[in-house]
Amino acid sequence: MNIYWHLPILIVVVSLVYSATRHDNWNKIVHEAVHWGVRMTTFLIAIGAILFALSTFL
Amino acid sequence: MSSAKPPAPAPVPPPPPVKLDVVAAFLSYLIPGLGQLTQGRVRKGLLFMVSLYALFFYGMYLGSFKNVYLPDYHPNEPTVNRLASDIYTRFQFVGQFPIGMIAWPAVYQYVVYSPDDKSPPLGGFMRAPEMDEINRLQRDGDKTWDLGWVYTVIAGVLNVLVIYDALAGPAFRELKSSPPQGAA
Repeated sequence: MNIYWHLPILIVVVSLVYSATRHDNWNKIVHEAVHWGVRMTTFLIAIGAILFALSTFL
Repeated sequence: MSSAKPPAPAPVPPPPPVKLDVVAAFLSYLIPGLGQLTQGRVRKGLLFMVSLYALFFYGMYLGSFKNVYLPDYHPNEPTVNRLASDIYTRFQFVGQFPIGMIAWPAVYQYVVYSPDDKSPPLGGFMRAPEMDEINRLQRDGDKTWDLGWVYTVIAGVLNVLVIYDALAGPAFRELKSSPPQGAA
């Protein structure tokens, strides 16, 4: 099993818990959690793509 | 031409000072979310409890339940030096400890540790593995042993935020005059 399949639980938990410590309103919690989840996923995909390109073409 | 200025907006009164809830903070240290439950913020408390325990035990599962421990590598040193040296050796435990009571078995195993003990207490739960076993887990685990302790450390550090939420409330407070929709 690829090690990256373990990442979703980390992204979901960090997004939800961090957002829930910033707000008491559930609409804001969910809204901010989705934003953080997208940001972290985008960042990880970008880093993964850069490392893949470096290891492939260098 | 009139030069009358529009009336200045009424000054917004500052929010009341936060009352620190030390008891709730301590309860949230013991079990993530327990302080929020006692404060009546049931859904948030359950969210913290389920999320952090899920992440912590998932990390332990990835590490074959042998990546949360405090090793006794300096048994002949004075107590303070021994503890400092062992924590420095296994610095991950500093991040795992804030998860609360669930990390206490590691402390207990550290206190009663004996290398010759063939039947350790608690069935060996959170006992420092032998060096050969650590090497085997790292060699054969396809990096999941290390990924697992990272997850447990992240769960512990997130619980510091949860403890602070129980102590002083969320980072952005809602004023009582405008009750939020769907509040916890």
